[in-house]
Amino acid sequence: MKKSDFSVGRKLSAYAVLVCGIVLLVAALAMDFSGSQSAARGPMLVAGMLVTIAGIYLFPTLKYHRALIYGIFLFPLLFTFAVTVIIPLVEGIGYSFTDWDGVRVTGFVGFENYARMFRSADFVWSILITFIFVFVNVILVNLIGFLLALLCTTHIKPLGFFRAAYFLPNLIGGIVLGYIWKFIFNEVLTKLLGSVSLLNASNTALMAIIIVYIWQYGGYIMLIYITGLTGVPQDTIEAAAIDGANAWQTLMKIKVPMIAPTITICTFLTLTSAFKQFDVNLALTNGTGSVANFMGQYITNGTEMLALNIYSTAVSENNYALSQAKAVFFFIILAIVSIIQVRSSNKKEVSL
Amino acid sequence: MKMKRIMALLTAGTMAFMLAACGGSTSSDTSSSSSGDSSASSDTTASSDSASADGTTIELLNGKPEIDTQLQALADAYKEATGVTVKVTTVGGSNQATASDTLKKDYQAGTMPDVFVAEANQFENWKGMLVDLSGEKWVSDTNYAFTNDDGTVGFPCYIEGWGLAYNADVLEKAGIDPTTLTSPDAYKTAFETLESKKDELGLTAVVAYGANNANLGWSTGTHLFGQYLDAGIISGQDSKYFDLLSDGGKIDEQRMTDFANFIDLIQQHCDKDLATQGTYDQETAMFAQGKAAFVTQGSWFGANLTSSDDYKAAPFKCGIAPFAFEDGIDTICGGATGYWACYNGDNVDAAKAFLQWCSEADAQKIFVEQCGFNSPFNSITETSDDPFAAAIVSYRDANKFSNMNTFMKKDGLQNETGQVFEDFAKGNLDVAAFVSTISQVCQNYYAK
Repeated sequence: MKKSDFSVGRKLSAYAVLVCGIVLLVAALAMDFSGSQSAARGPMLVAGMLVTIAGIYLFPTLKYHRALIYGIFLFPLLFTFAVTVIIPLVEGIGYSFTDWDGVRVTGFVGFENYARMFRSADFVWSILITFIFVFVNVILVNLIGFLLALLCTTHIKPLGFFRAAYFLPNLIGGIVLGYIWKFIFNEVLTKLLGSVSLLNASNTALMAIIIVYIWQYGGYIMLIYITGLTGVPQDTIEAAAIDGANAWQTLMKIKVPMIAPTITICTFLTLTSAFKQFDVNLALTNGTGSVANFMGQYITNGTEMLALNIYSTAVSENNYALSQAKAVFFFIILAIVSIIQVRSSNKKEVSL
Repeated sequence: MKMKRIMALLTAGTMAFMLAACGGSTSSDTSSSSSGDSSASSDTTASSDSASADGTTIELLNGKPEIDTQLQALADAYKEATGVTVKVTTVGGSNQATASDTLKKDYQAGTMPDVFVAEANQFENWKGMLVDLSGEKWVSDTNYAFTNDDGTVGFPCYIEGWGLAYNADVLEKAGIDPTTLTSPDAYKTAFETLESKKDELGLTAVVAYGANNANLGWSTGTHLFGQYLDAGIISGQDSKYFDLLSDGGKIDEQRMTDFANFIDLIQQHCDKDLATQGTYDQETAMFAQGKAAFVTQGSWFGANLTSSDDYKAAPFKCGIAPFAFEDGIDTICGGATGYWACYNGDNVDAAKAFLQWCSEADAQKIFVEQCGFNSPFNSITETSDDPFAAAIVSYRDANKFSNMNTFMKKDGLQNETGQVFEDFAKGNLDVAAFVSTISQVCQNYYAK
């Protein structure tokens, strides 16, 4: 069909429907932003959207018709994604340039919040320890998870029990876990060993958080590695055995290369979840602990990682805009790290 | 070709219909929440059966879970007396920020409760949105209403006070008169006397003092620090140390040194483990079992005591002594610490009437007898059977309350100063280092 096949009437009605839809949409949005309480604005918005889609559908060209139909199918998902992710993200970035206090915005401050957060020693400290925490954890959690997976793919007797036992900590929520371990560190270990609690000083408390994190996450990562290891074809391993490979060689030359995609997934999982560490941090130390001299200052948030720092800036310091700026920064770090990580892992998989 | 087009149209039509269905429910949600019915507004809110706009339902946001059932009783009594429904929503727990956070969320969603709980430092957030209650009858019956530029905006719920709470029976057995405890020297002598009679009196430590920042930072960072700011100055007379703090976080070195010496004295006579890593529960247990003569808490501690089995088994008389780190300090920090504010929405008159009723005898009876509150209203003579009620009333009547400017300091400072107290308790800092560190921390925080 050519464009000329459409009658003038069809063209006109298509334009009319389209204009009508856009007018409804704009009117509904305008009512909402002007603070109108009219109950009609919700149906108006939806009706406007539907009429607009109909208008586009009737639009006198068939060139993009197929794409359009796909678009209509995707629309509910895209709409939900926009409402729950994209719009809050844009709004949040907007708030980070203001002096929002959680209730209202009285002024626009430009990059002041961003400048302020890098001037404050406590935030720089949080960034630093978060990176240390992530670095140590990505290595240790993966190593321990992998070793447990090796153990749980051998032929020892109570295999099911071991698997369940290692995985169980992951099923306990982080807050509960934090309080349990707080009790262990403060009451049990001190009595057993007669030493001071690990939570007593910032550096040892940080170590305690790492221990709890590994305990919580190791089993989960183990489970993924088990899936990877059982997926290694038995004939490849047999062939290696016939060629005279010992256990170590089989592991390093056969199993590890074969589960490279699993390693990618696990590294990615631990990396992002370690960055976002919040609940155990909150329950175990609530970010307390002192550092005698950092950037020339005595700082009091010795164990406060980024996510908790953002939270306490908003809630206990009642500084929502600054906290929002920190959150935007946090988002950027996570995005960069994730992209680099996925890119480099993809390359490795291809080369193998 | 034609068939295909019809199919495509049909499927698109189905999708559009489904969308309309989703859209329909979304829009009805929005419209219902905007008209004030908050049934879908928050996870903590109980469903309401009638809209508040018609003036027969008042929504009340409560931040104290421990008095939830008592407030329901209050709401029932009000319903019986006037026919107006009060819908009580309770949020929070140990973290006082929860109520204020819920409110911020409600404000964004347009579902603000008519009456809500607020602490002194939170009125600033709601500037220009609260009802000026200065014309109400109850205002003339109390000295503790909260007033700021917007007028009288806070209805006082209860009064509290804190200094050094003591076990009167133990002090009596040791021959110490608590009324003499108005100077550091008197305390030193008393502590030493108690220390020497520890076994005889069954004490494990003279003072139950907890300074772990994660567990008890609210106690040290807010309440003890508040003693530095206001102890010894009669309420309303002067706020010079608070003014100094507000001016860029400055600390008066001489007063802070005296304060630090006093904390040091407490530390010499406390349980070291409790001080560095103890929790509020452990502190409560120690005092309730009669194993400590003093505790660094205030009148709210009474509720914990009366619910403790140890205390129930062997109750004792309690009192509150001044935090006398300088000679002649004979006041405790006290006054109204919890307020109800009235949001300037479409239910103001009903809310005002409710608050007036709350200040009168019937409602105050519930507050005093069931919640264990000390009434802020002059016409109410009843006192609760809380162990600290008598102490609070005696300081109030003698006009020996000091300001509580500690609640007006910059939000979050207590998390920083609390850490300094913890390091001091651990022995990482000496008196001079405590003073210099705390002033550095305050200055940095105010500069932030």
